[in-house]
Amino acid sequence: MSGFDGDDLTQPLEGAREAAAAEGPTSPEVGRDEWVARHDEHRAGRSGLLGIVEERLSRIPWWAWLTLFVAVFALMPVGVTDGYWRRVAFDTVLFMMLALGLNVVVGWGGLLDLGYIMFYGFGAYTYAILRSPEFGFHWPTLLVMAIALVGGALLGILVGLPSKRLSGDYLAIVTLFAYQIFISILIGGDNIFGSNVTGGVNGILKVDPLSFFGHVVPVSKEGGVFNVAYLYIALAFSTVLFIALRFIDRSRTGRAWRSMREDSLAAQLMGMPVPWLKLMAFSFGAAIAAFTGTLFVALNGSVFPGNFDLTLLITIYAMMILGGLGSQAGAVIGAILISVLLELLRDPSNSRYIFYLALVLGLVVVLRLSVRLAVVAGGVIALGIVVRLVVDQVDASWTGGAPDGTGWLGDLIARWVVEPSAVTLWLKSVTYISLIALALLLTTLRGWTRLIVLVPTIYLAAFVWENILAVEPAVTRYILLGGLLVVVMIVRPNGIVGEKRVEII
Amino acid sequence: MTGLATLLDVLPLAAVDLDRLFQTIVNSATLGSIYALIALGYTMVYGILKLLNFAHGDVFMIGAYIGLGVLHVFGGATTPIISIWLVILLMVLAAMVGCAVVGVTIERFAYRPLRTAPRIAPLISALGVSFFLQYSMQLLFGAQHRTYDTFLMDGGRLFESVIAWGPLDVSLLRLIVIVGTAVLMVGLWMVVSRTRMGKAMRATAVDRDAAAMMGIDVDRVIVFTFILGSALAGAGGVLFAMRSDIYPQMGFIVGLAGFIAAVIGGIGSIPGAMLGGYLLGLVESVTQTYITTQWSNLVIFAVLIIFMLVRPQGLLGRPEIKKV
Amino acid sequence: MRRRGGIAIAFVAIVAAALASTAGAGSSAAAQIQAIKCDSTLKIAVLTPYTGPAAFLGQDQGSWANLAAKNVGKALGLKVQIVAADSTLDPAVAATAAQKVIADSQVIGVVGPATSGAAAGVSPAFFAAKLAAVTGSASNTRLTKIVGGKPKTATAAFFRVIADDSLQGSVDAKYMLNTLKVKKVAVLDAQEPYSEGLADIVEGFLKAKGVAVQRFSVTNSTTDYSAIVNKIDKDTDVAFTPFQIAANAQAVAVALREQGKKAVVFGTDGTIAPEFKFPGSYASVFAPDLTLDPSKKALVDQWKKDNPGRTFSAFGPTSYGATEVILRAAKKACIDGKGTITRQDVLRRIKSVKIKDWILCGSFAWSTKTNDPLYGAYWLFKIQPDGQNKQIAKLS
Repeated sequence: MSGFDGDDLTQPLEGAREAAAAEGPTSPEVGRDEWVARHDEHRAGRSGLLGIVEERLSRIPWWAWLTLFVAVFALMPVGVTDGYWRRVAFDTVLFMMLALGLNVVVGWGGLLDLGYIMFYGFGAYTYAILRSPEFGFHWPTLLVMAIALVGGALLGILVGLPSKRLSGDYLAIVTLFAYQIFISILIGGDNIFGSNVTGGVNGILKVDPLSFFGHVVPVSKEGGVFNVAYLYIALAFSTVLFIALRFIDRSRTGRAWRSMREDSLAAQLMGMPVPWLKLMAFSFGAAIAAFTGTLFVALNGSVFPGNFDLTLLITIYAMMILGGLGSQAGAVIGAILISVLLELLRDPSNSRYIFYLALVLGLVVVLRLSVRLAVVAGGVIALGIVVRLVVDQVDASWTGGAPDGTGWLGDLIARWVVEPSAVTLWLKSVTYISLIALALLLTTLRGWTRLIVLVPTIYLAAFVWENILAVEPAVTRYILLGGLLVVVMIVRPNGIVGEKRVEII
Repeated sequence: MTGLATLLDVLPLAAVDLDRLFQTIVNSATLGSIYALIALGYTMVYGILKLLNFAHGDVFMIGAYIGLGVLHVFGGATTPIISIWLVILLMVLAAMVGCAVVGVTIERFAYRPLRTAPRIAPLISALGVSFFLQYSMQLLFGAQHRTYDTFLMDGGRLFESVIAWGPLDVSLLRLIVIVGTAVLMVGLWMVVSRTRMGKAMRATAVDRDAAAMMGIDVDRVIVFTFILGSALAGAGGVLFAMRSDIYPQMGFIVGLAGFIAAVIGGIGSIPGAMLGGYLLGLVESVTQTYITTQWSNLVIFAVLIIFMLVRPQGLLGRPEIKKV
Repeated sequence: MRRRGGIAIAFVAIVAAALASTAGAGSSAAAQIQAIKCDSTLKIAVLTPYTGPAAFLGQDQGSWANLAAKNVGKALGLKVQIVAADSTLDPAVAATAAQKVIADSQVIGVVGPATSGAAAGVSPAFFAAKLAAVTGSASNTRLTKIVGGKPKTATAAFFRVIADDSLQGSVDAKYMLNTLKVKKVAVLDAQEPYSEGLADIVEGFLKAKGVAVQRFSVTNSTTDYSAIVNKIDKDTDVAFTPFQIAANAQAVAVALREQGKKAVVFGTDGTIAPEFKFPGSYASVFAPDLTLDPSKKALVDQWKKDNPGRTFSAFGPTSYGATEVILRAAKKACIDGKGTITRQDVLRRIKSVKIKDWILCGSFAWSTKTNDPLYGAYWLFKIQPDGQNKQIAKLS
């Protein structure tokens, strides 16, 4: 590292470096303070053209980025008139808000909240109960939203109370329990001591749409198409939320949270009311989720206990982690990326583009533009053609299948990848597990053995994608999300735009 | 109101209805033994790595599926090509081996790189692995529930009563489950307390750095721990699936129960995990039989939250003292 | 700060590129009145949970709809493509998927929504889009009928080709009372709309006739029924388990035997599956077992060839029926419209469809009063000592 050797503070003790090297990567670095060592790395910028561009960009203030972002989102409906994509944009904005809220709890507060979705559900049900024919209440929208916000905050405090006595892992489990209790109440809620509170498994239907100052905003325009006004309303709220969070981050509370996250014991010794801070983080995140829930149910017109299951939690976690733990911009970026990716994955034609693009990008990043890249790419293509020819000769039924979806890429790939007309369970299991095994093996190899193994692995990956993964997009998405969480944590734990955290042992 | 009425209704009868009572005890033992097996895996890993292995429940699920695969290879429940009892034994062994492999792979690739990362990183990685496993199995085997058709095996012998003393009525299968898990747990106990590796495990659990400095290969100890824990989970998976159905998300619920058992008993303590397992089985059976079926989940979770607040270190654990 | 900026730009660029690649896929908001040519590829969307806890539903319904598209489409001379819309058993996801379906101008009808919850939620959108939704599995009575003064929960664009719960519940209860002569019954539900609805009806009917009823509610994820079975009295005659997951009903039967209780398990549509084979158990289904019907053997074989290694439940063939109804309505519209149709044309002709050789036995016609079928009957199966299903009675 530049500037490292000359600085006395960062020199390890005599012989310690050799000992550390001998120990291997799994033991702590003896005699070396990570944060101090990285100090110079933080200050030095990147050289070359990229460095200049980065430097200029970093000078742009955050609110300029925000304005640009909001403008792009707001103008999107002009270019895209498809009701479906506008609706996806709305869902994305909701995800953004949820990711921002989760970021407050996990990223800023450092508390692993596995029951976060329950607050989302709480807000949705509050709105549904107070604005539907179920109980005959039709209270004003803004009042109900405020109630949901405050109620969510209070519920967050209630659920967060155990955090006073419990640390990280235990707290995670308690929040999970609280979530299960909440879902139980929702499901059994039509018969709590004989009276109906939450509508039970049949949910609450015919919920009123948003209405501000007497103007009702209908959820769909003629033709059943999504009313883009909802997108704008959600965008407005999320912008306000983003700005509010920004100010909180810069405030004393934000700084207190940051110190609590880095080392809660030290923070406590310095006088921070750590238990209160934890509760506040919980409460803030919960309030944000509850508020988002009202928007969700207002558009959908109905709410059921099944709307709030753990797959949603994983999705939001993936968004936040990918974007960068602790970073607001990261939560937003992560939400957009994953939301769009998940929608694109639904359709095999679209998902094919994504898969091959990701494959090519991955190769470029790992191998850089070099001879090795050309060799690998050439090898893969050649292998594919050869294998397909051979298999076709042996048994035509092995190449009888056709790729799902349409498009030029699909046709091209069909000539290259083996697509059996009938994919048996045996074939699926063997190829899938082999792919995972090979991929894991690749992470341990280096040098030219790695290149050699890379070639068949890529071909196998294409085979598995075309025949197994792309065929069931709804299952594949969760496989990918799960894998994403693992990979991001290992390769780049601070996500795309997050700050690098160093834990001092 | 109905809940209260049911309670009042049942209480005076409970003393008289021995059948129901004994059945409850048998139920809790059967259920609890499976929970104990899973809890052991959680507790051992937590003791050494201070990591909540969320993916452990899914290893359990994979064990059940491996058992299913073996069963089919040998002809199925009604037409086995060798003795069905031998097949069952092979199922358990195959599941143990297979799950050990899975467990070691998870440790090597998802947890080891994160050993020096902030505490939250391996937890999130574990969540990711859990989902990856669940949905991979769903991709391969479909979402429909499958069974071993246990009651068809050997003409239904597994469900015939072996012990029938008055109100106590235990079927062969339950006996196999209870005794089998006990044997496995005793085996584990012997390994941990009598062998050198077991000693190394205990030392590493107390202080990882000190153990490393004393010459213990920490990596090998961790791999061994995962092998033990995952093998137990695999065996548990087969035994559980003998009485229940198999589906990709089964690991989540049972895994959660196993984790709760580990926490009740005192996480990090092996006898604690065993105790916690049986205790949880008892609580669950009693709640469902005598109090309520509809709200049983809620009651159990509420009780657990209170327990964790009152005694977070569990029954046999020691309060964790952090040295600054 | 610097590094983050660069990488952020790179990723935003990728997203923009991805979005741009799909921008062309958008279509105008006036899709619903767009005229579609009959000789182009017509699309039928299948809105069902392809993944999630009830994924077997989606896999069954999707595969049978595919079969119908091939067979019926060929017979009618139409080019048909099935579009999968996954609802993941989550009504909100179903709503988003519904938006996608509405936006696709080639879609002329929807098979589904598969679940009663989703049906109530998306029906208004489909009604506004003039898109017919024909379901083969959402059996909640209130979707098409007024119950207890409460209005219908679905709209006029919602149809179903199977009879609703109110009929099934009462015929099952009648059989139990009259033929099985029950004095005591245990009724279980799995805390979801299908089983709760049926359980309520059966419980109400039996109680009114003086039968002692114990009611239990178990979570869908319960796999150990020992504790619940423990609560069932020794002299209970029948355990009514209208579960969607057959393996759970099997687990109840096994637990009953294990604990020496004499109660016999009585299941419904969801329990007709290979996982449920406890001898002596009953199951009532809205359709006769296709595999038992020799006239349908060719169809079943064709399905098995297209879906190797899989099995299907009773919910699959109903989607075949629903697809057939939509296609026949479309064909009528094509003839009337001389080769050009709109969604509204198809919607209007749904109720005029009559089918002679209906996949679920007999013929098919609509009721004149509601969007339900005219003939609603149930078939009773009993599992024989060798584990085979045998149809023993027709209930109506």
